[in-house]
Amino acid sequence: MILHTTSGRPEAASMVRLVTPFGTFTVAGDEIVTFPSGLPGFERCRRFVVLSSPEIAPMRCLQTVDEQAASFLVVDPRAALPDYRCVLGATDLMRLGANPDTPLVWLAIVSFDADGAAFVNLRAPVVINPERMLGFQVMPHNSLYPLRHPLAST
Amino acid sequence: MLVFTRRRNETIMIGDGIEVRVLRIGREGVRLGVTAPPSVPVHRREIYDLIREENRRAADAAPAMARLKGRMQVSAGAEAEASAGGSHAS
Repeated sequence: MILHTTSGRPEAASMVRLVTPFGTFTVAGDEIVTFPSGLPGFERCRRFVVLSSPEIAPMRCLQTVDEQAASFLVVDPRAALPDYRCVLGATDLMRLGANPDTPLVWLAIVSFDADGAAFVNLRAPVVINPERMLGFQVMPHNSLYPLRHPLAST
Repeated sequence: MLVFTRRRNETIMIGDGIEVRVLRIGREGVRLGVTAPPSVPVHRREIYDLIREENRRAADAAPAMARLKGRMQVSAGAEAEASAGGSHAS
């Protein structure tokens, strides 16, 4: 969804090269998602890409292309909890330039404890409007979902 | 820090678009109403801090990616199925 194959696309000056443990990616400007407020703790990271690779599937990598290094493993929250549901308010939709019918991409941030067990942050998911390439991390005022939901071994 | 004394239903203005109103004063706390433009996120500080700490903990995914990659090699690509997003690792 976010990253499309670049084959056949002319190399533009705006191309960004990203080296990751699972390969080197060349990212075009139109594949960059803008997070106008950054992410909490990474307020200065405004531009992110979502990288996919069979080596980390079904997870993907949400990585900044700004100077401060930040890369997150992310996963569809419904992969962790099939009936996961997060409702966006009118203000949230406005921030995404979306309406209630806009298809959105939901990503839950994955973390690991000292023993290597994986958890997903279902409390504050990342949401992206691919039509406008805008995203932010939702911080619902009332959420029953935990900050660290155990992720079954994938 | 600016300090104000406000009574119930009194407000303070921040810039020209943000208004904070005292709705109720009780023994358990003060209930505030915040009006802000959509571009200004409003959060309880402790929740923001919690999420910020969790993000910082999760931010360096490189070691985990390397582990996942190692696991993939061990399992000889048995689950090397194309993911939904078109990848173009080179």
